[in-house]
Amino acid sequence: MEILELKNVSKRFGDLEVIKDLSFSVPEHCVFGFIGKNGAGKTTTMKMILGFLAADQGEIRIFGERVTYGNTKTNRHIGYLPDVPEFYGYMSPKEYLKLCGEVSGLKKGIITERTKELLGLVGLEGVNRRIRGFSRGMKQRLGIAQALLGEPRLLICDEPTSALDPVGRKEILDILSLAKARTTIVFSTHILSDVERICDSIGMLDQGKIVVQGSVTEIKNNHRRDVIRLEVAIESKVEQVSKELMQMDFVSEIKINNNKLDIQITNAGQAGMDILGYLVQQRIPVLRYELLEPSLENVFLEVIG
Amino acid sequence: MRGFMVFIKKELLEQVRTYRLWILFAVFLVIGMMSPLMAKLMPEIFSSLDMEGLVIQVPEPTVYDAYAQFFKNLTQMGILGVLLVFGGTLSNELARGTLVNILAKGLPRRTVLLSKYAAAVLVWTAGYALAIATDYGYTVYLFPNGGVANLFFSLFCLWLFVCFVISLILLSSTIAPGSFGGLILSAVALVVMLMLGMVPKAGRYNPVTLASVNTALLEGAKSVSDLTITVSITVVLILSCLIASILIFEKKKL
Amino acid sequence: MDDIMQYLPFFIPLVIIEVALMLTALVHVLRHNRYRFGNRILWIIIVVVFGYVGPILYFTVGRGEE
Repeated sequence: MEILELKNVSKRFGDLEVIKDLSFSVPEHCVFGFIGKNGAGKTTTMKMILGFLAADQGEIRIFGERVTYGNTKTNRHIGYLPDVPEFYGYMSPKEYLKLCGEVSGLKKGIITERTKELLGLVGLEGVNRRIRGFSRGMKQRLGIAQALLGEPRLLICDEPTSALDPVGRKEILDILSLAKARTTIVFSTHILSDVERICDSIGMLDQGKIVVQGSVTEIKNNHRRDVIRLEVAIESKVEQVSKELMQMDFVSEIKINNNKLDIQITNAGQAGMDILGYLVQQRIPVLRYELLEPSLENVFLEVIG
Repeated sequence: MRGFMVFIKKELLEQVRTYRLWILFAVFLVIGMMSPLMAKLMPEIFSSLDMEGLVIQVPEPTVYDAYAQFFKNLTQMGILGVLLVFGGTLSNELARGTLVNILAKGLPRRTVLLSKYAAAVLVWTAGYALAIATDYGYTVYLFPNGGVANLFFSLFCLWLFVCFVISLILLSSTIAPGSFGGLILSAVALVVMLMLGMVPKAGRYNPVTLASVNTALLEGAKSVSDLTITVSITVVLILSCLIASILIFEKKKL
Repeated sequence: MDDIMQYLPFFIPLVIIEVALMLTALVHVLRHNRYRFGNRILWIIIVVVFGYVGPILYFTVGRGEE
């Protein structure tokens, strides 16, 4: 079942059309990476999903239930982590989670139990001082705990790692990987390595539209450009190898960089065999032979280019 | 209802931990103690001033003077204190974004507003009661004889006026942006109403009258029936402010 | 003048409240470094010089959030 569905959603601020006819959907039990440059409309989209902003056109559904602007009932399914979560500085993490639990109508026993469990999950157990003295990373972790408190079926995180240092980022990603087991996660980011680490499927947003969507493996396969990188041990041979390989009809282009050759081919399976055969036959020593994987970064740059 | 009580508890905790509750209580305690004292000592202060042989004759102060002083301090220091203490109750949260997590959990926005109003009225009432109790004690001790008319009604009028001020703060906070938005806009609105209060005859329809008519009530120059319209209008205005602020807040971008 | 002296005990609680407010505010100003506007020196002056008003202003509109 689709947990989240956007159909032809548009939003403009004055003359600026931020979201143009945006449609995508997120199936249950996956980690969906919502990728886009700064200002691509990620936060706007998330705020519309939560009913904090009104969509000018189109509709957003959560479990088939339509999101309405203002007070939306659909929020009961959602845990939300804002990009910079703000808390009541005069409370301790426990008190804050208690408030959140009571506001969502959870029973006392359940609140105590989950508070303990979640503070453990995010590494804040035993921290009893007031939130006002917390670092950004600690606030982000508390933010995840409060978002997961109601055992939401959908967890929405807005740029959870952007404001953090590398250590804080790793902590958040680790926590999100753990949270993966209990809920569907939608998170927005512009850091592609984060996406590759934990996402199953992604949507790339550019100029208010989804330009690429699908599972990470699928996207990589679709954007595979069939390049073989060959690293020759003897640099003087590079010229000769390049010339002779160019004569094979499945090689369309070769880029040379010192002793490295990036060979563009049309038929990865057969071509690989033939190239290896040629190398053995000519007794050319090889340091490295690899079929280049497209990184999400390349895909992203290619599609938004 | 559940969310309402939860959020009132949160509001009270906030008032306590940010010292705002204690500040307000201190203000009202000081007003309660100071007013009768000032009334009592005014003639002595004047007579102790040596004005080159000029002797100012001040009549012996009475219970009326004590209460007049009390109302004067309440309508100045007291209302200023209320504005400062509650001025940021919604504006601060909107400016900082602390409500985002809570609203995302499905707490209705109207509940947030109504519980903020209820908590503020509760704290104001407690502070007011503190001021009245202290003032009463001091007055009885310092002025053993005499009494005033319409004391309870006069106190009620001021109470109702401040309840109106609080509703005005909430409405202003939903309209004006920034963490001082609510405070500034409601203060401006009060000043405008104060100036309108100078228009003769229009006073009956202006809530400000509830905070200026007190001494006239104590003297007996005005009676309860003179203020029925003003009280009703103020109640209607409080409800209108609350409803308007809810309507605006429900459609506010976060 | 004697009459005023006779009422002196009544002023004791007022003075206690004033001093308590001032000290609480002063300690808070010195222990926190963020103000919604102004700087530390300004707030120390306001809190110390303006009897009741200074501390009240500090706690209601002056102190920073974090």
